[in-house]
Amino acid sequence: MTAGGLLLQQLINGLSLGAMYALLALGFTLVYGILELINFAHFNVFMVGSFVGMWTLQAMGLKGQTVILTGLPLAGALLMALIVTMVASGALGVAIERLSLRPLRNVRGPAAMITTIGVSYVLFNVVLLGVGADAKNYPNPLPPVTWTLGDAVLRLREALIWIVALLLMLALQMFVQRSRLGKAMRATAQDPEAARMMGVEVDRVVVIAFFAGSALAGAGGLIFGLYYNFTSFIIGFTAGLRAFTAAVLGGIGNVPGAMLGGVIIGLIEAMGSQFIAAAWTDVIIFSILVLVLVFRPAGLLGRVAPNKS
Amino acid sequence: MSIRLSAITRGKVLILLLAIAAVAFPLIHDNDADIDSAANAAAYATLALGLNIVVGFAGLLDLGYAAFFAIGAYAYGILTSFQVMPHWSSFWGPFDWLDLVQRMPQPGGDVVHFTVSFWIMLPVSALIAAFFGILFGAPTLRLRGDYLAIVTLGFGEIVPIVVRNTDSLTNGAAGLNGIQAPSLFGFNFGVDALPYYYVAIAMVALLIFISVRLRDSRIGRAWMAIREDETAAMAMGVDRTRTKLLAFAIGAAFAGATGTFYVAKLQTATPEMFGFPVSVMILVMVVLGGMGSVWGVVLGAAILQLLQSWWLPDLSSWLHILGNGLNIIWLQQVDLTHAIELIFGLILVLMMLYRREGLIPATRKEPELDVMQQHAQVERGTAIALSGLHHDGDATLSVRGITVRFGGLTALNAVDLTVPSGGVVAVIGPNGSGKSTLFNTITGLTPADHGTIRFGDDDITCLPPHIILRRGIARTFQNIRLFNTLSVLDNVLIGQHARLRTGPLGAVLRLPAARHEEATARAWATEIVSIFGNRLLPRLTQTVSHLSYANRRRVEISRALASRPKLLLLDEPTAGMNPAETLELAEQIKALHALGVTILLIEHKLDVVTRLADTVIVLDHGEKIAEGPPDEVRRNEQVLRAYLGRGALARATADA
Amino acid sequence: MTGLVVSRRTTLLMTAAVAALGSSARGPLARAADKTVSVGVNLSLTGADADSAKRMENGAIMAFDEFNAKGGVNGYKIVLVPYDDGTATSGQYDPAQAATNARKMVADRATVAAIGPQMSGAGKAMAPILSQGGLAIITPSSTNPDITDPKYAAQYRPAGKPIYFRTVATDAYQGPYMANFYADVLHVKSVYILDDSGAYGVGLADSFQAQAEKKGIKVLGRDRLDPKAADYTAVLTKIKSLNPDALYYGGVLQAGVKLAKQSYDIIPKVIKGGGDGAYGPEMLTAVGAPANQGWYATIASPHVTDDAKIADWDKAYTKKFGIGPDDYAVTTYDAALVIIAALKRITDAGKVPTREAMRDAIQGIKVDTLQGPVSFDANGDLTDKTISIFQIGQNKEFPDDDMRQYKYIGVAPSS
Repeated sequence: MTAGGLLLQQLINGLSLGAMYALLALGFTLVYGILELINFAHFNVFMVGSFVGMWTLQAMGLKGQTVILTGLPLAGALLMALIVTMVASGALGVAIERLSLRPLRNVRGPAAMITTIGVSYVLFNVVLLGVGADAKNYPNPLPPVTWTLGDAVLRLREALIWIVALLLMLALQMFVQRSRLGKAMRATAQDPEAARMMGVEVDRVVVIAFFAGSALAGAGGLIFGLYYNFTSFIIGFTAGLRAFTAAVLGGIGNVPGAMLGGVIIGLIEAMGSQFIAAAWTDVIIFSILVLVLVFRPAGLLGRVAPNKS
Repeated sequence: MSIRLSAITRGKVLILLLAIAAVAFPLIHDNDADIDSAANAAAYATLALGLNIVVGFAGLLDLGYAAFFAIGAYAYGILTSFQVMPHWSSFWGPFDWLDLVQRMPQPGGDVVHFTVSFWIMLPVSALIAAFFGILFGAPTLRLRGDYLAIVTLGFGEIVPIVVRNTDSLTNGAAGLNGIQAPSLFGFNFGVDALPYYYVAIAMVALLIFISVRLRDSRIGRAWMAIREDETAAMAMGVDRTRTKLLAFAIGAAFAGATGTFYVAKLQTATPEMFGFPVSVMILVMVVLGGMGSVWGVVLGAAILQLLQSWWLPDLSSWLHILGNGLNIIWLQQVDLTHAIELIFGLILVLMMLYRREGLIPATRKEPELDVMQQHAQVERGTAIALSGLHHDGDATLSVRGITVRFGGLTALNAVDLTVPSGGVVAVIGPNGSGKSTLFNTITGLTPADHGTIRFGDDDITCLPPHIILRRGIARTFQNIRLFNTLSVLDNVLIGQHARLRTGPLGAVLRLPAARHEEATARAWATEIVSIFGNRLLPRLTQTVSHLSYANRRRVEISRALASRPKLLLLDEPTAGMNPAETLELAEQIKALHALGVTILLIEHKLDVVTRLADTVIVLDHGEKIAEGPPDEVRRNEQVLRAYLGRGALARATADA
Repeated sequence: MTGLVVSRRTTLLMTAAVAALGSSARGPLARAADKTVSVGVNLSLTGADADSAKRMENGAIMAFDEFNAKGGVNGYKIVLVPYDDGTATSGQYDPAQAATNARKMVADRATVAAIGPQMSGAGKAMAPILSQGGLAIITPSSTNPDITDPKYAAQYRPAGKPIYFRTVATDAYQGPYMANFYADVLHVKSVYILDDSGAYGVGLADSFQAQAEKKGIKVLGRDRLDPKAADYTAVLTKIKSLNPDALYYGGVLQAGVKLAKQSYDIIPKVIKGGGDGAYGPEMLTAVGAPANQGWYATIASPHVTDDAKIADWDKAYTKKFGIGPDDYAVTTYDAALVIIAALKRITDAGKVPTREAMRDAIQGIKVDTLQGPVSFDANGDLTDKTISIFQIGQNKEFPDDDMRQYKYIGVAPSS
């Protein structure tokens, strides 16, 4: 394998990881943009999403690695799984907001953030106690199609991740930029008081943000399962923290920033394993998190907002 | 007939009973496994006490607290295990003599085995952890609360990973094994639970003592001020960075000492022992007991540890018996200890939703004033007695060409202003004209883009707020920024923060100097509050959030005066007061002025302005449009137009 | 009637008092008679290795149930006290929990001997504590050699006497014998080595690496996996670029499952193998075909579950627990037999089975077990050092999750 091919292969790996982190980062960014709340529950909404996706695929008779689909049945099964997962995860996100966060909307201090940590723990342990700690064999209906690019190999599942992630992110960007609700969302993010006075229903905007963010996290969870062929109760924390780093790096509250941040973190992970050592990747990523927060809290694409306090 | 003990006596009796119960517990209940669990509970109580200083007192949400626990643990582990064994040379001779190392014969040449005493390492680990607390804290503590939480989470992740990857020092993921157990006068603690238990409860007792002493001192007040309102705290002379760092360092020190204790007891240390779940568990203890409540967090730690090691296993075995009786398979196998983290999660959510103050709230409600006190004859106070406010220095404030921009908006445009020493100057202007920005810029809260501010002979343009206060400028805020969960007395005492010297050591030991200083400070606070007669005096120990609006204004003015300012900045001091109260306050301000305090005030009520001010400055859209004696300014047409609108202008002209 | 009014605070105090009383009279399982001794069994019942742990625990349960059903010996019966050193947060064994369990065993005066742990990382944390408590433990599966190596005596048996016995061989043989197998049987010329950063995994990979180099296999590199991370594709891509003949993995299943899946995608043709950490039902259920096909694994004991002579035992086990045994269920059963034999020897002599007596009896034991005669050397290691090699292949006769999907290849070459 030539150095160029190797680099290209790690680029492919990194982009796939990055696409997943980006989907997850968008949820952090949407909620933070509006409520200035770091939502730790988001980590495990992603995890629950990957289980929902697995059960949906299994319900369609897809078990293990042996049932392979092609063509329309494949597209149909994946679309079905994607829709069910996104709706279920979105609903979970909305439920979390309604039950545990709305009552704390106007409470000063860390109460809301602590609550999200609690919710995250609840989700994590309910899944652990419910399905057990072992890794689950994720259904994989994708045919083993690969393309060779020089020395590097691009597999169908990687291409699929990129396409799905890109489409979802474009849809979100369109929604935020063009639709009425999206505009209300941006207005609320800029100045909740003013938005309220202009007739924006802030509660509704918050619900939409939670739904959209959680649905994307769920999609990320499904993609995770299809990509790695396994899922487990434990996947939320590591992926969640990296996605959060991505959101901060891109500029938290900023939709294109989250995507950019996700891709950068994915590439750092891949290249770090190649050129430094897999064991130190986390240290590199968290160091980036700390350095960005300390020296450029607005991130790469964010603008420094006037102090709201 | 019942004997009513005073609250303080009752508290002391309760503490004594608790102490007796803790000491006697192993004698009554002779089961090593349970004593071991109790020792663990005590170790976690010390961690909870440490995190309580950071989260509870200073309000800094630290999600990586276990990192300091790890640092203390590994400091002891490395210096007492068989991990690092350099070759023996004469260099190690003196250390051997001091019993810090041992010469160990090995086939390939003798090596050094570190055997630093547990008792030395307890304080040393605390210091090492405190050092790392400062190291991590220094660049990050100026971040906003939620960002700080994430950065600490990042550090909390990095430390165990670094530990896992530096095999030569820490033996990586396999962990340090064979860590030396403590020994005292030749008695080795070994694996006996009892001595560990007594060391642990002694540590809890010591840390409770330190926590309470710090809480009730100048340091503790500063932490709580920062927690309640960072901006106001800075404006009242609290050095934000130093105060936060101190909380971080002391919290880390508690964790470091506990880490040493914990691994000495377990005789093993692995990176897994110090991950995010541990940080969360300690947080759950603090949240359950009550953030900021010393006894609360100890209770929280005890409940959670005992839940984990006693109650859940017992409940499980009862369920097993029930399952055997009823022949229900899943009941026979259920193990509730697996649900402990689920319970942690539920505790966090439920406590935040329904009981944020925790099981034992930090601030207990003061008894409400009875009817007699409520309706006591209101006596007007006077400032005559306040000789402490008198000073001789030059208090001339001169602002030259100050410009402040927020993005595209110019809040102040080349404003000039002079307050002569001993004068009273009023700033008026419509809403949004830049008055409060002017105050913020003078007191260092908002940086100026251009221009200079001089006070006396000094340039104070870009000094931090707490330094400006020390130079003798104190202020109040338009929207009253008191420290809401603190008492009237504590609020006023914080005003004196910069004038007091007591450090953490003095606060804990209550040295004579610290005691004297505190007594003087309290006397001065009472004296200040008495300017307002008996409006505040009977309410000294009440939480300020329970006070009336006017009284909160008075507390804020008292707080500013407590720093003995040369120049007092009052931002709409009479806003929200009825005419009688306004008049009373105006008199009191006048009396302060008579004592030599220079005053700059923002005021909307023109009669107050006329009564008090020598000079009036009018701002509009960030520019100074008029300056002069009140009567002159009142007739200025431009002012009337800007300030009162056209209708009022017409009326004013007609009146004239 | 004011005297009867109970304030809320009084109720609270009363509740606290009742709770305190309840806690001092804890433990609904009172010890029945003096002549019952406890044996602590510490395995990783939570997390990635739970399935194997359960099969092992069943082995011990079976031995003690049979023993008690026969009326015990000289009036003595054995109670099994289970301990779990796996925690949800670590997702596998947790050394700190293992150390805590060791302290609990030592604190429980009725406990005279112990079985476990499953994992070497746990064993390293437990051994020093058990040594100070004078409590002998017999591990049916932890294979890291350091714990019993006299070189580390000060660390792992500070009280002097060996207390850590094994009914399995150690990685001092498991890794090197596999390296021999790679070199001599599979004719591997170059290898890449991975470990899962655990005590067992690192030690096993080290011992494999040393022997592989000695055998002339070119070691192209060594990397450390974070068992909690999801993605190993980057490091596997790096391995692919080096084009080794084989991959050796030292570690347990938490990382192993993901490694098997991802390595099938990226380096499908490379020979892959591991130690007993790669021998477990999760390789069959969680990895599944085709990714797990062709993986080699070893165990540090003779392979007996296919033996005709223990067919009856196998049947009884399967009937009792509803799942089949694996070889470490056998070694656990054997460990229990050792303890039973020691108890018999002491009580036959009319002595009291104290911890010290049990340790000494175990040290000198010679007992026939399922895997053959078991005795220990001066350090507590099993005298017999057989390493068995398996390869995963699809055996259509059995369900996918049956351990017989591991096809027995033979005994690993000792040189």
